[in-house]
Amino acid sequence: MKKLEFIYEDGAHKWAVVARDPEKPNHLIDTNEYLVLNGSEALLADPGGMEIFSAVFSAISAEIDPYTIRHLFASHQDPDVISSLALWLDFNPELKCHLSWLWGSFIPHFGGTADTFVAIPDEGATLSLGGLALDAIPAHYLHSSGNFNLYDRKARILFSGDVGAALLPPEESSLYVENFDRHIRHSRDFHRRWMGSNKAKLSWCERVSRLDIDMLCPQHGAIYRGEDVKRFINWFADLDVGSGIRD
Amino acid sequence: MNIVNDTISSLHRVVKANEDIKKVIRISSGVNLVALNAMLIAKRSGERSRGFAVVSSELRLFSRNLDAAMNGLGELIFSLVRDAAAMQRQRQQHSHFMTVMKANKSVRKWAEPTLARVEARMGVVEEEISQDWHRLRLQLNRVLQLCESGRSLSRSAKIEAVYGGDMSTTLKQVASQIEGTVDEIFSTLKLLRMQLAD
Repeated sequence: MKKLEFIYEDGAHKWAVVARDPEKPNHLIDTNEYLVLNGSEALLADPGGMEIFSAVFSAISAEIDPYTIRHLFASHQDPDVISSLALWLDFNPELKCHLSWLWGSFIPHFGGTADTFVAIPDEGATLSLGGLALDAIPAHYLHSSGNFNLYDRKARILFSGDVGAALLPPEESSLYVENFDRHIRHSRDFHRRWMGSNKAKLSWCERVSRLDIDMLCPQHGAIYRGEDVKRFINWFADLDVGSGIRD
Repeated sequence: MNIVNDTISSLHRVVKANEDIKKVIRISSGVNLVALNAMLIAKRSGERSRGFAVVSSELRLFSRNLDAAMNGLGELIFSLVRDAAAMQRQRQQHSHFMTVMKANKSVRKWAEPTLARVEARMGVVEEEISQDWHRLRLQLNRVLQLCESGRSLSRSAKIEAVYGGDMSTTLKQVASQIEGTVDEIFSTLKLLRMQLAD
């Protein structure tokens, strides 16, 4: 069963993750859903697929009032990211969903009305969560052509979507990366195949390396902390991406 | 909840009914051609086939009315597919919120109002589906009445063919063709009406 775990707390400003689910069916990719709370408002980043909605909703509702969630953030358009949209809107039709303008007419196939969506321009934007600034950082072509990360300057946390993702075996169940070298083996093939552009990758690495980041939180796999954040950025900068097709 | 199973059977019934309606549309497009052919033959036969020409002209009118009636059936099927799909979507959402309801009381309380809204919507869609089926049955009855008039016309064509002089054999053949086509439409629609009554 998925559980909500707090990864950052500073008074009413918190980050929590509904981390990987050991009970999920094997045919579904495992995902992390991140909840950013600031006072009476919350934002759910990459709310997940329809099939895991009940697990995510239950995990969140067990800890907080789910009506505090006012915003959804979709890093990109994939079904494991946002196909639960209609169910979230069933629960609260007032929810706003922030996403790349590029997917503005695609994501509504999952649900929502014209009022649901807040388009993020290519250059990014700053979202306000009860006065807390959250920066939508461009990560286009990593892997989606309209793709954003979400950066919390105050908490020094970067939600990185598919960047930093790892497809971990069941025995590697830790919430955080414990051994970078062992962990990164589960990331290599994913990044080589899913990340399509070396140019986009280097641009991302250059921009993100200038940010203060204590935690880099991917949608799949474990969270990078401390020095592992820098290790990951350097590793990613050196990796030849767009090259992972199996022979 | 009965609505869940009803949704699945509803979609199956719509698909089945739609197949029968498509079959009738295919056949009815043939009536127009046969009627046109009958008119041309009657024209060639001249004064002796005047009665046959009148009947053929009525048959063309029947064919046009049948087309319009079948389009009406098609629109009703479209509504049914739309409503059955909406029900299927509600059913999925219902199932996800029912899973949440299996959690402890503190979680259930958040899902209960949403579940109630989903169930209320399912009730509304169920009512719409029921009205769709009712309208479909009414329209089907209207089409069957129309086909009764088509059958009378085809019988008249057979009678008029007898007075066609040296063209009589050809006219009889055409009249039989018309009768066969109208009969096929009639029996398909009757079968469909029987299935919808179940």
